[in-house]
Formats: sequence, C-alpha cells, structure tokens
Amino acid sequence: MRWATRRHCHVDRAACAWLIRRFLDPEAEFVFVEDPDDVPADATPFDMRGVELSHHGGDCSFETFLRRYEVVDPVLWEIAKVVHEADLADERFDAPEAPGLDVLLRGLSMVRDDEELLALSGPLFDGLYEYRKRALLTGREPA
Amino acid sequence: MARCRRSGPPGCFLAYRLPRDPSTPRSSLWRKLRRLGAAQLLDGLAALPLDARNREQLEWLADEVIEAGGEATIWVGELASAAQERELGTRMADAIAAEYRALIDDAAAARAERPGQRRRTLGRLRRELRRIRARDYFPPPERELAQQAVDEVAALVEELVR
Repeated sequence: MRWATRRHCHVDRAACAWLIRRFLDPEAEFVFVEDPDDVPADATPFDMRGVELSHHGGDCSFETFLRRYEVVDPVLWEIAKVVHEADLADERFDAPEAPGLDVLLRGLSMVRDDEELLALSGPLFDGLYEYRKRALLTGREPA
Repeated sequence: MARCRRSGPPGCFLAYRLPRDPSTPRSSLWRKLRRLGAAQLLDGLAALPLDARNREQLEWLADEVIEAGGEATIWVGELASAAQERELGTRMADAIAAEYRALIDDAAAARAERPGQRRRTLGRLRRELRRIRARDYFPPPERELAQQAVDEVAALVEELVR
C-alpha cells in the first residue's frame, strides 16, 4: 500500500511510518509531498491537515493511528506518550525521553533526507519498543 | 507597481474565531498559544516568528479551532510598519523578561531551602528555564541572568554533594 505525508519528516511522521511498516503494512511505500493537493490518488495520507490520520482533539497523528486502528498494545500507548510530548510538548504526559527524542530526530532530519530518516529512525523505535516492553513486563526500568 | 520598500522578519499569524461556549477549547487554545510564546495581537489574532515548527504548530491549532466548531486561517506575512514591528518585538521580549524575573526570584528563594528541597527545586527551575527559552524569540538581558541564577543554585547543590 502507498502512504503519503509531508516532506521534511519529524518525530510524529517518523513514528507513524515506523508503526505502519512494523504493525500495519509491512509492504508500505511512502511518498513525501509538499502540499496536501499533491497526494497521489492511490495513497493514504497521514499527519497532514484535513486528513483523518492526523492530529485530532489534541492528539498527535501517532495517537490517532492507534485509536483508528484500535490498537490495544500497551507498549505502543507508552510510546505514544513520548511521541506526543516530543511533537507537541504540551505536558499532557510525563515523558522525560521526549525532549531527547525531539532533538535526535530534528538533528537527523538536518543531515538526512526523508527516506534515510525513516530507515535510520526505524531501529531507534524498535529499540524504544523493546525497552518499554521490558519495563512494562518487569515493572522497573531495564538495566 | 508600488513595491513594499522594507522586508522585516516574516511572521506566521493565526486568525480565528471560536464559539463562546463551551469555554474549554478557548482556554486550551489560549494555553497552547502561551506555551508557544505567541503574541495575542487582537482577540482572534495571534502571531509567532515564522519558522517551520511554529507554522506547523499554528496549523494544528487552526485545525483544533475548526474541530471545535470555529473558523481559523493561517497567514504568513510581515508588519508594514518597522516601528510597529519593533514595538511588537519589545512587547514579546518584555513578557518573556517577566517570566525570567519570576524564575530568578524562585532561584533566590531556593538558596534558603534545605538541601533535599533545594535539589528538587533545582530540577523544577531547570525545566522551567528550558520551557521559557523555547518561546524566547527576542532574548532580553534577563535570559543570561536567569541562566546564572539557576547555575548558582546548581553550584550550591553540587557543593553539598562533594
């Protein structure tokens, strides 16, 4: 399936792309556009103004994906808090990882194009998932 | 054709109208604009210096306004008068300076606290300083003073550790 989002990805789009490839559509292909009008007819748009899979009711797009696809995995909802705070920093959640993740991805986006950004941030989110999973299973931060 | 002679730093503007009721979307919008450091130019018009991040944040807020049954548009432009532009910059710097001064007062009060309490206060002061700096577009002299005040509290905490 083809998915479309805005160029110059940052944390929310990178996290959504990871979620799509890892959990929703392993064959996903991404298209990056400048303007919502440039979204190809066969692509599902996300994290763009006026589309369903975007910010809604104060949620970031990653949270919207989890809601729309009725994802119940508690680890993904933990990651959603981090992505929300990295993207919006509105202090809805306590997510101390967020400022660090924000800086890492913002910096990466300065030296890599969107394809590379997704390729590099994917394993980072894999690791974040594994870390949060272990924390949830053992009830403590893994060493 | 008459051409605009000056070109100031561009701004990003959110023009909006929200229903009076319910009041929750209104206060949520106000809180978010304040966190971004936006200048409220009029009731229903807020401004931020233009960059990719500010523009995107204002766009999400515009969508929230629309979802709450209001109207919102995003504009990119500049003030036509250099004097008014300076005035706006000064107003934004003054608002931020007041926030730094409150932080400096808190840092001074922390000196009298017990060591354990002071360590916790240091964490709070650092987070608050980071929040203020994120919305500081026209840094006033107070910025450096606030940094120094927090560094001094940090030095006191550090001293007791050694």
